[in-house]
Amino acid sequence: MEFLLEIGVEEMPPSHVKTAVEDLKEKFERELIAAKIAPRNLRVLSTCRRLVIVADLPEGQEAREEVVTGPPKAVAFAADGSPTPAALGFARSRGVDVAKLEVIKTEKGEYVGIKKTAAGKGSAEILAQMIPRILGSLSFPKMMRWGTGQFRFSRPIRNILCLFNGRGLTFEIDGLRAGETTTGHKIRSPKPIRPTSFENYARSLEDHFVLIDHEERKKRILAQITVLLEPLRAQLYPDPELLDKLANDVECPFVFVGSIPESYLELPLEILSTAMREGQKLFSVVRDKKQLPYFLGVADAPGDTKGLIRKGNERVLKARLEDAKFFWEHDRKISLKKRAPALKHVMFQEKLGSYEDKAQRLKKTAAYLWGKLDAPRGDKDVVLAAELCKADLVTDMVREFPSLQGRVGGLYAKAECLPAGVGLAIYEHYQPQSLEDESPSTQGGAILSITDKLDSIVGVVGIGIQTTGSSDPFGLRRNAQGICKIILDRKLNFKFLRLLDKTVTSYGEKLELPKDEIVAYCREFFANRLRYLFEKQGIRYDLINAALGAGLDNLYHSYLRVKALDALKASPQFEPFILMAKRVNNIISGQPPSSLNIDLLVEKEERDLQAMFTIVKENVGPMIAKGDYTQAQMMVFRLQPGLNTFFDRVLVMAEDKKLRKNRLALLQAVSRILIQMADYSQVVV
Amino acid sequence: MSLQNLIMNLQRFWADQGCYLAPSYDLEVGAGTMTPDTFFRVLDKRPWKVAYVQPSRRPTDGRYGENPNRVQKHHQFQVIMKPSPADIQKTYIDSLIALGIRLEDHDLRFDEDDWESPTIGAWGVGWQVMLDGLEITQFTYFQQAGGLEVFPIPAEITYGLERLEMFLEEKDDMYDLKWSEDVSYRDLRLEEEKQFSEYNFNQASVQGLRSVFALAEKEAAQLAGKNLVLPAYDMCLKCSHYFNLLDSRGAISVTERVKMIAQIRVMVSRVAAKFAGVEEKS
Repeated sequence: MEFLLEIGVEEMPPSHVKTAVEDLKEKFERELIAAKIAPRNLRVLSTCRRLVIVADLPEGQEAREEVVTGPPKAVAFAADGSPTPAALGFARSRGVDVAKLEVIKTEKGEYVGIKKTAAGKGSAEILAQMIPRILGSLSFPKMMRWGTGQFRFSRPIRNILCLFNGRGLTFEIDGLRAGETTTGHKIRSPKPIRPTSFENYARSLEDHFVLIDHEERKKRILAQITVLLEPLRAQLYPDPELLDKLANDVECPFVFVGSIPESYLELPLEILSTAMREGQKLFSVVRDKKQLPYFLGVADAPGDTKGLIRKGNERVLKARLEDAKFFWEHDRKISLKKRAPALKHVMFQEKLGSYEDKAQRLKKTAAYLWGKLDAPRGDKDVVLAAELCKADLVTDMVREFPSLQGRVGGLYAKAECLPAGVGLAIYEHYQPQSLEDESPSTQGGAILSITDKLDSIVGVVGIGIQTTGSSDPFGLRRNAQGICKIILDRKLNFKFLRLLDKTVTSYGEKLELPKDEIVAYCREFFANRLRYLFEKQGIRYDLINAALGAGLDNLYHSYLRVKALDALKASPQFEPFILMAKRVNNIISGQPPSSLNIDLLVEKEERDLQAMFTIVKENVGPMIAKGDYTQAQMMVFRLQPGLNTFFDRVLVMAEDKKLRKNRLALLQAVSRILIQMADYSQVVV
Repeated sequence: MSLQNLIMNLQRFWADQGCYLAPSYDLEVGAGTMTPDTFFRVLDKRPWKVAYVQPSRRPTDGRYGENPNRVQKHHQFQVIMKPSPADIQKTYIDSLIALGIRLEDHDLRFDEDDWESPTIGAWGVGWQVMLDGLEITQFTYFQQAGGLEVFPIPAEITYGLERLEMFLEEKDDMYDLKWSEDVSYRDLRLEEEKQFSEYNFNQASVQGLRSVFALAEKEAAQLAGKNLVLPAYDMCLKCSHYFNLLDSRGAISVTERVKMIAQIRVMVSRVAAKFAGVEEKS
């Protein structure tokens, strides 16, 4: 039987709708199953004004047999089989004839009792209790109350439509009674609709300018966009987030084309598209990465026959572009170099000083990192970029469009004819903003981005601000993830811990925690970020732990290690080798390090092992240096037979102390090679 | 069609909803929310309906009369309905229809925009209302004011009068608007914008502003101590305006900004607590 629920709300933000849809699906599914009325085809649909749940449910719970046990059989019946007062009393208390008592076998023995069939509860009754409870349990990043009610939700709930098998259910939420009607589009058709089924509901709404399915609205927006763009031979400036937002915000999507006066087209594409997106949520229209004199907008309307929606948007956009053009022209009258000193008035963090201080630190750390990476040219460009990269914070353009920070600086650098490397490094130094965003395309941009992000992490950690659970006010996780992503994307091969050390040092006396504490915290922090990234690639957690157990000295090598483990995990040598490695680790664990004396290797098997080890060691060294961990691992596998016979024939814990220490020393040497590849004891076999 | 017609239409409409039509407050404020007719009245439990025009000063928005969209003083039409009625959104939409806007020809949207004012310790949940891409109203369900939870919940509707009139008259330049049939916005306001931009950005005495700020702050504390919360709040408003002027003079560093906003907020919260009968715990 069909269950249909529509919660009518005032416009909810897109992010709230998204979590509400996920939560409702999860909670209803779970609770309906728990209530023994498992749903089939449960779907949750939404617009910014409606949350809709539809599912097939049984009419009610199945009837179940209930067993009530009374006294033990031995007590209930006398020797002659006649019922005792105990049996009579039990039967009376249950309102049944004593003859109806049955013998029931339990784990504790035989009892008398009665069996009866209890009718299950009806789904209607269960739902009427369940719905208010589930809605009351939804949670949003920011919750509100309204009127005189105590209920908290994302936005006010104004209407409830609930049908089970075509009939209304009786319940209320914060004084609002569930009913059997909804309304069409708020502006176009605010008339009551009384649906009889979901199919009828969806169709009636569509007749009244509401498309209830988010994905369907998205599809229609895209289809209209395609039709409009074709004659222009143009594309959208890609913006999937905006598309998703708009599909949420409108119930009746209508796409329209507006035009932009040619005089604004001299503005860079980044600025044009941001001015369009922010505020008015318009799409910029491009051909070959050049802005055309058009934009696309999505209205919540069936059409725009009088062209008023288009004209209105054009007028508002023109005013915004006029502002942007004014900033573009006026900002450039002062060069970035002249602006940079003003950064001393812009606070980076109260205890950590200004952005000028930050720029000074970045000059040092960026130059250091440049030198460590294969650097054919000098570091002049990257140092200049570090000095100027924050200067756009004091431009009117970034004040107006904060999301353009960095990119504006890059555009201004280009416009004032600074070397291309400087402009690109500034332009790209906030990238990547997320895992989906691209890493910087230039070495300078990558270096500046890494050093800037690491500077923020070290500073914030260094004044004792902890990032825990959901609390990450400085976006440190995103920063650390960005650093890892750049290093992996660009295969940057450098000693990460040294850069960390340099960064801490660059703060001078400003940090409050001791250096080793900051470094330890950051190591753990980065290990967790890498773990997250590797897990996203589908790598086994124990392999990740093993690879990270080899240290974080070089983050790119951590990646190569985990890749090698992942590639070799299915090979026949893998498991026996892991077991052997664990055996080595177990036996040397807790033993003081000792040095190997070849003359004390008395048995053939230990001499063989030592010989094999020497060859393996010589070969593995260069492989590791190159980062070829797959080859190195395969080379190390060759130790396995030697180790095997060694353990079979040689007593490591020999009576003779000298021999014992020497054998342990041999195994310790083996272990020192192994740990350069992975901490094999973490692998689960 | 004129600004005064717009004002009269809105007054008539909201008076019909039971609002008391308040006169504009006689101090410089940044927004209609800050006047006592909103600030104090949302703090108590009694129902309250009010509507009024409030000239609102934002010194840093001055453009010497050269920008067609930005001014250092604009006019808000402020409405408070407490508790928020169940059909308040529909009533608001009806107010637009009452202004003669044929909504079926336009795109009206409620876009997420949660309002907050750190200086008066207030925040709410709501939208900016967009008409064909133009922000014409801020619509907010107050949740907190003066650092206190408010209850019952008021709905606050703030129309930007110049914006709305530009829409109605289909003008691109604010100064081309008509205030009445005979008086243009240019006649009334252009000279004021020029002179006050010069004052706000270049002439206001930084030294003087700092000392009157300190004076008003001290007086607010003394008055609050004597339970004279209404004059104490006036002093807070003065502080807020002096702060805005110092800001437009470029005299406030980032740290100082945070500090001064916190200073005002602490005073306002104290006044709010006294008014609501909650003794502050310190």
